[in-house]
Amino acid sequence: MSGWDGFLHGLSVAAQPGVLIYCMFGVLLGTFVGVLPGIGAMATISLLLPITFYLSPEAALVMLAGVYYGSQYGGAVASILLRLPGTPQSAVTTLDGYPLAQKGRAGVALFTSMIASFSGSMIGIFVLIVLSGALAKAAVAFGAAEYAAMMILGLVAASTVGAKQPSKALAMVVLGLILGCVGTDVNSGVQRFTFGQTELMDGINLVALAMGLFGVAEVIANIRVAERTGVPPRIALRDLLPGKAELRRIPLPALRGGSLGSFFGALPGTGSTISSFLAYALERRLSRRPQEFGNGAIEGIAGPEAANNSAAISAFVPTLALGIPGDPIMALMLGALVIHGVQPGPLMLEARPDMFWGLIASFGIGNLLLLVLNLPLIGIWVSMLRIPFRLLYPAILIFVCLGVYSVRGSSFDMFAVALIGIIGYALSLARFSPALLLLGFVLGPLIETNLRRALLIGRGDPMVFLERPLAAVFIIAAAGLIAMSVVQVIRRRSASAGGQTP
Amino acid sequence: MKRDIPDLAGGVILAAIGLLVTVYSLTHYEIGSLRRMGPGFFPALLGGVLAVLGGMIALPALGRRGTSFHIAWKECLAVLAAILVFAAGFDRLGLVIATLASVLIATLATPDRRIGWRIALAIAVTILSVAVFSVGLKMTVPLWPGR
Amino acid sequence: MIISRRAALLGAAAASLCKPALAQEAGWPSQPQHVFVGFPAGSSPDLLARIVTEPLSDTLGQPFVIENKPGAGGVIGVQQMLNAQDIENSFAATINGPLTTAPRLTPNLGYDVESDIAPVALIATSPLVLVVSAEFEADDLSGFVDAAGAEPEALAYGSVGQGSGAHLTAELFSDRAGVEMLHIPFTSYAEVTTAIIGNEIDCGFMAPSAAMQYVEAGQLKILGITSAEPFAQAPGVPVMAGQAGLPDDFRAELWNAFIAPAGTDAAVIETLNTKINAILGDEAVQQRLLDMGWQAAGGSADVLAQRIATDTEVWGSVLDRIDAKD
Repeated sequence: MSGWDGFLHGLSVAAQPGVLIYCMFGVLLGTFVGVLPGIGAMATISLLLPITFYLSPEAALVMLAGVYYGSQYGGAVASILLRLPGTPQSAVTTLDGYPLAQKGRAGVALFTSMIASFSGSMIGIFVLIVLSGALAKAAVAFGAAEYAAMMILGLVAASTVGAKQPSKALAMVVLGLILGCVGTDVNSGVQRFTFGQTELMDGINLVALAMGLFGVAEVIANIRVAERTGVPPRIALRDLLPGKAELRRIPLPALRGGSLGSFFGALPGTGSTISSFLAYALERRLSRRPQEFGNGAIEGIAGPEAANNSAAISAFVPTLALGIPGDPIMALMLGALVIHGVQPGPLMLEARPDMFWGLIASFGIGNLLLLVLNLPLIGIWVSMLRIPFRLLYPAILIFVCLGVYSVRGSSFDMFAVALIGIIGYALSLARFSPALLLLGFVLGPLIETNLRRALLIGRGDPMVFLERPLAAVFIIAAAGLIAMSVVQVIRRRSASAGGQTP
Repeated sequence: MKRDIPDLAGGVILAAIGLLVTVYSLTHYEIGSLRRMGPGFFPALLGGVLAVLGGMIALPALGRRGTSFHIAWKECLAVLAAILVFAAGFDRLGLVIATLASVLIATLATPDRRIGWRIALAIAVTILSVAVFSVGLKMTVPLWPGR
Repeated sequence: MIISRRAALLGAAAASLCKPALAQEAGWPSQPQHVFVGFPAGSSPDLLARIVTEPLSDTLGQPFVIENKPGAGGVIGVQQMLNAQDIENSFAATINGPLTTAPRLTPNLGYDVESDIAPVALIATSPLVLVVSAEFEADDLSGFVDAAGAEPEALAYGSVGQGSGAHLTAELFSDRAGVEMLHIPFTSYAEVTTAIIGNEIDCGFMAPSAAMQYVEAGQLKILGITSAEPFAQAPGVPVMAGQAGLPDDFRAELWNAFIAPAGTDAAVIETLNTKINAILGDEAVQQRLLDMGWQAAGGSADVLAQRIATDTEVWGSVLDRIDAKD
């Protein structure tokens, strides 16, 4: 079945009332839990899992997927308004979304993120229709060497384009990589830096880290500030929406981000995190006003949001065609399929076209629903900012705690969130970027495992990274980026030195 | 005196963490060979890199004036205590009492000295968290002491 | 219609189990019961537990609530059962690891299998199959052993982690067949199959359900199975025992079991064992397990205790061998 035929067939599946209603329910619930700080798609989907026993497999998958991408729309709201990202992807959105909101342009930031998310999803669906077969093959061609090389490129790209002080940016990435080492070493089974805590054997909980670094740290920093500045004035309706000049800054970044995301999303593992950081790095490099980034650049929201939404869609290719889930949420959805006796694998696209294409078509419908649902809500979200912070933050803290607890039912993780929150506050005082720490944390274990695996498979020969053409391309690109930024730093140094001596 | 305190302190702390990680990895975990890297290889390497980066951050900060900053001690303490009380209490005391206590502690950080709004807020947040997590999402958490 | 069929099957399973039993007369269970699972919702141990707890809730009249406490290869689930506030009403469903190899592999385990845990019933077992790429040079086990024996580490195999069933089975196989293979740890069977198809590694032991689709698609082939008898989910696959120089008693199986904290009332364990055996005797339940690649097991609590003891010994000797090699 060709992509377009498949998609049309899928539309007929997804438009059945018995499926459509679960799609609607899923995206609604997803938006809701996404907005709530702390609790995210992961907890919601695990709690919904028993219900799926009683649904058809198509309806179950469509509903769970709806929660997944619906929560990304909602997550953007929490990231922009409260600087509370639930995932590393939406951590990128805080970089420019939150500063915009602080300037009273929250409506513009929300509008941008929603339009970009929607465009990203559409690009993802389009790429999937045209290339579904090729994407599945690309994932098999990726071995340990390719993964290691690609993640190194991702890290380099994200951190060299970093802040004014490259050493501070790099230090955060490295600290993240070190934190990523905590837990059981995949290759040797040795427990590293767990200090006898069984709870640390699987590493530091990602949600606890994200919530502590951003959420709790932000609460601490904001209590006094918010008390001084008081409640922001009511915003007129026309200020909620972007002006013409701002609108023009959305389409190109969204297109670039969406394309980037659909490629990286198809690679199982961290496609969606890498792609949102890469999209951010790319926009910053292409921009004529790079100094705006970090202070509320529209492109800094549009690119990453489009990228992570298109990646979320193409990520279903490896999940369904190879059975390799890109993240724990995908793993959960695989479980839902297995309940129904559906084994994901190479035969799934052919054996269960109803399910595969029905799901893809439901993405289209669900995203349209989300856009229609969320655009009118912008006004309501923005007015949430008018609630005095002293009434808001105790609730945020409780929700963060319960959200972190809901991930794996561990009280240990709540204690961890308190400690990480204090560290996050200290980092923000000294102007270190927690987003880069999170990136290092997510990619670290993958780089290490794949690097060591590649060397083990290559029987110790480091040339494996250059002999495999794809890996070589990534390594050369990474080296090129480093060289470029070194040149840039030197040029800037000599330029500023020349400028200072009159 | 010209000192960029945040960068100086941050750099020194990071360098110290890096050194500690390297030393700990070298003494506790196997380093292995290039072919079969041991569990200590990666962290030992990363610790070294972090130590160098920490130095690179701290040194220039010695001769530079930093931006002024202010540590919010009271807020730190209140938030920390609120989370710890909640984390330690909700298993034994149940969601309702833990939430009430935690919200009341958290509100200590605000300068508004009145008491009424704090109690109202604690009750409101408790109702909300029970409604969302226990009733809505059916999370298995005890509501009251001793189940 | 899948919805109604499944609901009907569950209903039938429930109806056939409505006989009163020992502990019920004593008023147990009078409260909701907790079943700790050391793996996330949706994982295979979790799904197996749910297949058993759903009919249990129906027949015993109190909900058996699954509490997912994932981590440390299932060990956290067992620890949480032992530390539960409501320990009288707490149980666990777990894979073999936390009861057999964990005392060797996990520092600070915090429990002693023999004195802290009361076996209730074996739920299901699964053999492992030896999988190679469809392009692999040999078509049978003796050809494979020849290729693997050509030189030390001539072949590399993938596992789902240090100390996992896939790792230990491969080492047991290497030992018995007199070969030495290179171990490459991955984290899931899907990664292992992808690596075999991509020709990064040569082979791997895995659950039949993880391999069958790829075999049908012509990308992988199976050279043998580790059970004593052929397995319904892997039709036509020869049993490994007795072939290519392997001893006749060569056997390796993964299993899932229902356990209770030591000190649980014997009548309660007896009731649970009876009920679980009745559930596992139901054909619809057996089919659901088979669809997921598992063979319904059952038997008395002693059968499980025996299983724990033998596996602890067998895997212990394999672990000794691995330790000696390093």
